[in-house]
Amino acid sequence: MSRPEVYPFDNISAASRNSEQDPTEASRQQLSEDGHPFSFSPQIVRLHREHDMFEDGDIHRHLYLQDLYTSEAEDRTTLSVSEFPCHISGCSAQFSSLGEYEHHYNSLHRNVCSSCRRCLPSARLLDIHIQEWHDSLFAVLAQKQDMYLCLVEGCGQKFRTGKQRKDHLIRIHKYPPDFRFDKLKKERGNKGGRGQEQKVKVIEAVNDVCESEGVCEVLCNPMSDQPEEEESMEICEKEAPLMEDMPSPVQDSEVNALPLNPQYSRRIPKTVCFGHGSSRSFRGQRGRKK
Amino acid sequence: MWRLNKIHHKSRWHQNNIDELRLRRREQERALRQARRDRQLVSKRLLLYEEEEETGVTMETASGEQDVVSLLLKLQRGGTEKEIHLKALSKVLRESSAQLSFIKHENSMHLLVGLLTGSDAQCRLLAVRCLHELSYSPNTSVASACMPATPYLLTFLSGPTTKFTETCLYTLGNLCPVSEAVKEKLLAQGIIPALASCMENQRYNLAVVEAVGFTLSQLLQATGAIQKIISMVMCSSLPTYLVSFLTPDSEFGLGAAIECAWCLHYLVCSSEDHQELLARGALLHCSSELVSLSGAVTQGPKEDGMELLVCPLLRIVGNLLPSCLVEDLDKNTVFTLLVDALCVFLQAYLCSSPSLARETAWVLNNLTAHSTECCSAVVTLNLVSPLIQLLPVSHGINTMVLRILANIVSKKKELCVQLVQLGLLSALCSTLKMADQEIVTLSLEVLYMLLLTSPQVKAEFLREGGASILEIIQYNDEGEIRQKASYLVDQLLLTQQQHTI
Repeated sequence: MSRPEVYPFDNISAASRNSEQDPTEASRQQLSEDGHPFSFSPQIVRLHREHDMFEDGDIHRHLYLQDLYTSEAEDRTTLSVSEFPCHISGCSAQFSSLGEYEHHYNSLHRNVCSSCRRCLPSARLLDIHIQEWHDSLFAVLAQKQDMYLCLVEGCGQKFRTGKQRKDHLIRIHKYPPDFRFDKLKKERGNKGGRGQEQKVKVIEAVNDVCESEGVCEVLCNPMSDQPEEEESMEICEKEAPLMEDMPSPVQDSEVNALPLNPQYSRRIPKTVCFGHGSSRSFRGQRGRKK
Repeated sequence: MWRLNKIHHKSRWHQNNIDELRLRRREQERALRQARRDRQLVSKRLLLYEEEEETGVTMETASGEQDVVSLLLKLQRGGTEKEIHLKALSKVLRESSAQLSFIKHENSMHLLVGLLTGSDAQCRLLAVRCLHELSYSPNTSVASACMPATPYLLTFLSGPTTKFTETCLYTLGNLCPVSEAVKEKLLAQGIIPALASCMENQRYNLAVVEAVGFTLSQLLQATGAIQKIISMVMCSSLPTYLVSFLTPDSEFGLGAAIECAWCLHYLVCSSEDHQELLARGALLHCSSELVSLSGAVTQGPKEDGMELLVCPLLRIVGNLLPSCLVEDLDKNTVFTLLVDALCVFLQAYLCSSPSLARETAWVLNNLTAHSTECCSAVVTLNLVSPLIQLLPVSHGINTMVLRILANIVSKKKELCVQLVQLGLLSALCSTLKMADQEIVTLSLEVLYMLLLTSPQVKAEFLREGGASILEIIQYNDEGEIRQKASYLVDQLLLTQQQHTI
């Protein structure tokens, strides 16, 4: 004679916390014995008369008794689906399909430069960006050799300055003059104190990119009112008092500074890195399916 | 005379305007939900009569109060025009002001009871109509005023006339929920044995069966003295009859089946000991009824109001399953058919009635949690893929569906590889990313069980990018979830290391 394990169901969510409410004994999986934290076992659920799950059915029953029942679906709400949250700390976006969520993630959180929070559309452009903007060795080498790589994959040509590369892109590859992913970086040493220490402060002041959906706009803002050579892409300018001379591309009103974390690298390593102050970019994940 | 048809609705609410009807329904729904929260969910039923259905209009009198008094005086005088006056009185008593006037008038009820029990048959019928109107009143004092008549009403239940009996029944049914005192009195007067013998005598008349069912359901919905009522009902022949009337009739329709099903539901969910009901075949009958109804759903457009019958049947099965022995389940093929029927209902009601779909999923959970045969049936009947497709749907449906799948994984480990082939792992890779913590927890549990089955499953999971999903979950808000995810990550890492070595 086999009796099933029966649990009265107080509310639907209680079922997952069954371990505490479990009155029966040890036929259930043990937490400690095998050392694993899993405790699922099939549960038969008994619902009492007043249970929430019975509400709609009861109401329909009584509407029928009162001669108001209809089987038409006029008042039915559309089917609701479970939501997918963006798991990036600070990003509170939710999506009703996995596809939407992945698109969001790929657009805003992948290929993000950890120094300046820029989101680049591809890993290659991110690499180039980091190299050209945040690599001091690059700056040194660039003084002597052609270091500016053509952005078009397969071209392979290198140029002495960013401007030359840009001209190349426009002339040879027919790029628009205001191509968004090739803003010229300001030369170091110009316009007062754009040195290393400034960079650090800049990083300090950067707000979490995820806070606004329009982050790409921040990055891609052509800033057409700027003379091209002097353009700077430092989005943190809007905060740092040092850079008053540059108009800030104000996008979000909710700016808040992250705590200083001088340790983190600008480029996220292959392993996931969470925690305050770092950006999230899942480059080179193991077998991540698109 | 109760029918599920639109004409009836119209004549009741005097509304030809569909929007007004909708508005009324919405208001009433709100009121009912509040009443349920207050544990005061009660409804009364009012019969309409043939001549009114035809004309579609009920007579409204200008000065109800005046008419009541004058009619009563006329009736007191007696004479050959009693019928006419009574008929007029029954119409006038639709108005609440007239009702109040009636009960205030001295000896009015005494007069009515006299007519009820007199030698004139037509007067008896009309007198009971008057009582019926009074019983329908939401005003407690008005309804309670009917009490002197109830012993007679109960006696009449064993009579042969159907229309008269019906009216008596609905009147009694309306009186049951009026107050505790009224109910106690009715019980003492023997309402339950009276209902039982009525059911027995008139079992070929479905209109009467429906009326008995309604009255009984009113008693069983009571919260006070419910155990006493239940034991009285169980001692009678009523449960056997209730079980036998669960099939819709081609001519009469669903009415009788609906009432009997709801009575059984109240019986089942108000008590824990179901052996009596099981012995009378309640579980088998309800299950096979559900199976035939599912056939009706697949064959054509949904019959109007079928959910009203499916709902209580599901609840009966769901709550009887805990009391049933597994051996009894496994030896009867109807439960395998029931598995299929439940999946049909899930698909059919998903959009039109999500709460009904959720109740369906609940019953399927109970079936699969209880019986390994039913778990196998889900797989062999090709129901796994349709279930997996329901995993995006919230309303608590996906939680239940995930439980069902978890039951199968837990009880039929040999089927795990097949489940993975049918896409369970990919589905988990999606559900693991959902916002609902319960879903994430369940997904981790299922994942754990699947990963235990074979290294191929582990490899497949890694191929699907599962490792990074788990890494993210390690930062979930809930401690238990983090713990589970970390454990799995470690397990997977172990596998990977083994592979690289």
